[in-house]
Amino acid sequence: MSLFRVWQLAQFELTRLFATKRGLLALSAFAMVWFMILNYLIAQAVPFISSPEFSEVAQELAGNIGLQKLVSWPQAELAVFWLIALYSFPGFCIFVCSDQTVGDRLRGTLRFISLRCTRDEILLGRFLGQLLIIAILISLTVLATFLVMIYRDMSLFGSGLALSLQLILQLVIVVMPFIALMSLLNLISSSSRLTVVLAILLFTLANALIGYLSYYLPIISGLLYAFPGVQLLDIAPQTSTSMVNWLLPIGQSAGLLALSAFTFRRRSL
Amino acid sequence: MNSLIQVNNLSKHFGDKYALNDVSFEVKQGQTVALVGPNGAGKTTLFSILCGYLRPSSGSVSIMGKPLGNPSLFGTLSALPQDATLDPRFSLQKQLSFYARLQGLSLANATNEASRVLELVGLADNHHAKISELSHGMKKRVCIAQALIGEPKIVLLDEATAGLDPLNAREIRHVIASLSEDITFILSSHDLAELEKLCDHVLYLNQGQLTTHDRDTSTGSSQYVTLTLIDSPRNAIEQLKQLNGVLHVSQSQNKEYIIEYQANFEQFDIHLLKYCHKLSWQYRQLVNGHTLENQLFQKD
Repeated sequence: MSLFRVWQLAQFELTRLFATKRGLLALSAFAMVWFMILNYLIAQAVPFISSPEFSEVAQELAGNIGLQKLVSWPQAELAVFWLIALYSFPGFCIFVCSDQTVGDRLRGTLRFISLRCTRDEILLGRFLGQLLIIAILISLTVLATFLVMIYRDMSLFGSGLALSLQLILQLVIVVMPFIALMSLLNLISSSSRLTVVLAILLFTLANALIGYLSYYLPIISGLLYAFPGVQLLDIAPQTSTSMVNWLLPIGQSAGLLALSAFTFRRRSL
Repeated sequence: MNSLIQVNNLSKHFGDKYALNDVSFEVKQGQTVALVGPNGAGKTTLFSILCGYLRPSSGSVSIMGKPLGNPSLFGTLSALPQDATLDPRFSLQKQLSFYARLQGLSLANATNEASRVLELVGLADNHHAKISELSHGMKKRVCIAQALIGEPKIVLLDEATAGLDPLNAREIRHVIASLSEDITFILSSHDLAELEKLCDHVLYLNQGQLTTHDRDTSTGSSQYVTLTLIDSPRNAIEQLKQLNGVLHVSQSQNKEYIIEYQANFEQFDIHLLKYCHKLSWQYRQLVNGHTLENQLFQKD
């Protein structure tokens, strides 16, 4: 495998978002949504959490749902951001990464590319490209939240910076298996829309089916660990110190990519 | 001549239907090869296997001594796949440069290479155009341009001139002819006249089975010319038989005669043309050997 070619493929993915009209339009829409989240959710929630009148109620409420540690963060903006980002970025990935190879395959563009690099390189290059895009978007939203936070309280600059970097890393690890899953679904579907539909069915019907079957045969519940995001509830409160919660998405990503490579090598272009 | 492509007992089936059935052939360096056959004969399947788009059901393919998909063939084996097109979101220059980068060229060289191949196919003014802004003929030429990036040794062109107007088709033929010294082309086309001009070796596929024909093979004690006349004179066959050196004459189609003559007869073609002049026959075409059409489809 040539890392040079993988990097070229990944770089080209970046230009899809930052150098095409459609990509810039999507980026503008993303920026507007996050402006709304920052302005109406994060900025409004922070005074509520921090105010002495409501802090006790907020602490009690958060404690009931296991988020006591988060509410106690002095960097309240980042705490609210974490909860929103943790559940919105995986869903966002399903839509943004829905066309990794399927469009090029249908158009025949993949035939030109496959004359110049291996299918494994294409798969990994596209995955890394999408991961880079999502990592950049996560970083931009964290930066925006950080700016809102230090505008409120400049003394949080140092601790907020370290926490911001930690959240970027954690969110990137969280989204990895979602992007890898979309890599796999791209290979078995016939359009990017169908890829999204398949992902939604997988997270709803398949998830429910496993839950139902595991009632009769508990061992089946182990299959849930193959689903990206299975650990989200455990990591949301930021109280878990178990490395398993961070190794699991990395393992899932590696497994899904290996399965994708196996499928891609066998399919016709 | 070195063997560039070696195909042994290649078969590909889709369900019960065999698209290719025990196909074997060899392509040598410097040959320009025509791949001919009716619709559904398996031409595109064979191209797709050679390019690595399809996996064969059985048999082996070796390209320059390497198995299919070997990374050392990147940039060496190139192709114009049928019905494939570039991404409509990016300019031609950007995509061709990207392909050149994948072939290992530096950023500056990749940009120059994209310009060179666009110029080669007559699209020098369309660097910043997107594929969706081009006509069918121009799209085809762009796809041929991508096949010429770098220094390919083998280029497979599937229906390269299909759907092109005569002028564009002529330009493409000119490009192929001018590069055929350095590149081994394998062309698939239904235009036998075009293949006749460009190719010296023919692979004929029919219902998944292959026969090969060398266009310049002249063995034994006789040779052939194919004479096409403008008019259809009476007793033409009988009169041609009376010409010195002629062994046999047959009519392949209206106004077209296949003349078998003694191989040791010097300048038979000039001798024949003088004879036509003497009989006041006007000729349209004189082909050295059989026409490709007769070679493939003549039963006797």
